Amino acid sequence: MARTALRPLRDRVGSITSGALAWIYCALLVVPLYYFVVSSFKDNEQIFESPLALPGTWDFSNFGTAIDQAELVLAVANSVITTVAALVLTLLLALPASFALARSNGRLGRFVENIFALGFLIPSFAALFPTFLLAAALGLFHSRTFVVFLLPATALPLSIVILTSFMRAIPRELEEAASMDGASALQVLRQVYLPICVPGIATVLLLNFLSFWNAYLYPLILIGPDTAQRTIQVALPTLKVDAGTDYGVLMAGTLFTLLPVYLVYTVLQRQMQRALISGAVKG
Amino acid sequence: MTALTDVASSAATTPEPSPPPGRGSRTPLRERFPGFALPALVWYAVFMIGPVVAMVLIGFLSWPGMLVEPGFAGLSNFGRVFADEKFWAAAGNSAVQIVIGLPVMMVLAFLLAFYVVQKPRGHKVMRYLLFIPALISAPATAMVFYAILNPDGLLNGVLRPLGLDGTAWLANPSTALGAIIAVELWSGIGYSAVLIAARLDSVAPEIVQAARIDGAGDWRIAWGMYWPIARDFIGVVTMLQFLSMLFNSAQTVLLLTQGGPGTSTTTLSYLVYRKAFVETDLGYSQAVGLILFVLGLLGMGVIRRVLRASH
Repeated sequence: MARTALRPLRDRVGSITSGALAWIYCALLVVPLYYFVVSSFKDNEQIFESPLALPGTWDFSNFGTAIDQAELVLAVANSVITTVAALVLTLLLALPASFALARSNGRLGRFVENIFALGFLIPSFAALFPTFLLAAALGLFHSRTFVVFLLPATALPLSIVILTSFMRAIPRELEEAASMDGASALQVLRQVYLPICVPGIATVLLLNFLSFWNAYLYPLILIGPDTAQRTIQVALPTLKVDAGTDYGVLMAGTLFTLLPVYLVYTVLQRQMQRALISGAVKG
Repeated sequence: MTALTDVASSAATTPEPSPPPGRGSRTPLRERFPGFALPALVWYAVFMIGPVVAMVLIGFLSWPGMLVEPGFAGLSNFGRVFADEKFWAAAGNSAVQIVIGLPVMMVLAFLLAFYVVQKPRGHKVMRYLLFIPALISAPATAMVFYAILNPDGLLNGVLRPLGLDGTAWLANPSTALGAIIAVELWSGIGYSAVLIAARLDSVAPEIVQAARIDGAGDWRIAWGMYWPIARDFIGVVTMLQFLSMLFNSAQTVLLLTQGGPGTSTTTLSYLVYRKAFVETDLGYSQAVGLILFVLGLLGMGVIRRVLRASH
């Protein structure tokens, strides 16, 4: 930090504190993660006796137990199905909508845009119970299908805001040229707008992937405990038992849950960071 | 969390982009209803707006159980809510959570962001680490902290050799709420810091350089230069974290303490959940949901006033 040796003591103390603070927080981020990764290779006794020691042997049996006990493979499959279907549905709804909103600048278009913007204010969680009634009324209670329908609705406001702002940046001359060649609106969307919007679509996909994969309360209430349907986020906490949790197994299960997200993050780190930042900044 | 991500920004900026001059008049077609937006609009109305409207209506119904025929209750649900000690305990817990947790989170996030944008040694590693909590789901975070905070967990394991007595952090009424807030800080500070850092990155380094030459120290540069510049944006991030604390804390509470011991960790959003799905007192639950909704709007207004752009 110290750029010049002549700075007053107070400042050096100041920068040391802010640096120390930052690194302490980083340690607080890393230590729990380290703890839970090493714990997933130990049994309760080893975890309690020496929490931070490396495991004596790299024993993967906790993973096997966790996967069997909570049927995690099935749960991952359910999560994958739910997430992918919801992502596709979100794009099918959001892309034409953003296209229409980006091209319209009449009062109606702005009105529709504001309705979606209002969605950021809706505490969808507080309305969990009516959502549950809706699932029952549609005969889709205790099934993945309803969650696949619901998740896109929760993601529409953000997705539409991001995609619309991307599409607004497209010069209209491009579109007019295509229209002159007799292209329909759908063709204009497919052939002119979509290729240019790929970065925006990637952002929307990454953001929604995170929120769909990590969704907890909706799947918990709407899909319920049926092992054939439940997602990984609902399955994981079942490894916690009131009397006598096997912490090694619980941590192994947690690690298993995090792997897909972590893989995506490692491969697409830069894009993911940009997506998460723009997700909050857009609008 | 991402569902909420943008709440704040759209509320903070008036969504009235002035149309580019002369575009609207070119073809009459564009004045028509944006038809391609219709499917999304219908979808959104059915799955989001519908349930919220229903929540408001149910708040005025007497509906003591799923199998009971609901009847009109007028304001009596609200009467019951306001006469209920549990509600006030939950309101108190939510207040503590927000009044203490939120400022701590934002100040620490700002200082972290300030440190990161100076590009000290290791800042790339730091940016990578700060993102991690944003990736981890609520159940996974809760399970890790369940292991850390249990009587034989990491925290007590670290305290014991130091001669300190730990406690059952989640089962002790005097530490349980603090533990929940700590978990929220753990996952909220990093993401907020990254967002604020993205804003601070846009401050021209020449200005900072000039201030340094004039003898301004880190403390003054942080609070005297960066803070005013980023202030309205920090307001946006604050709103985002405020809504997340107010509405989403139910997940963490459900996973870690189920509101107990006693009512010591029952927050308002957990009360909504509990009354609906455990006690099936549906009118009560949705009345609290409505109160929560109003509190959310009020809180956003307050944050916006406090952290309004100062230039």
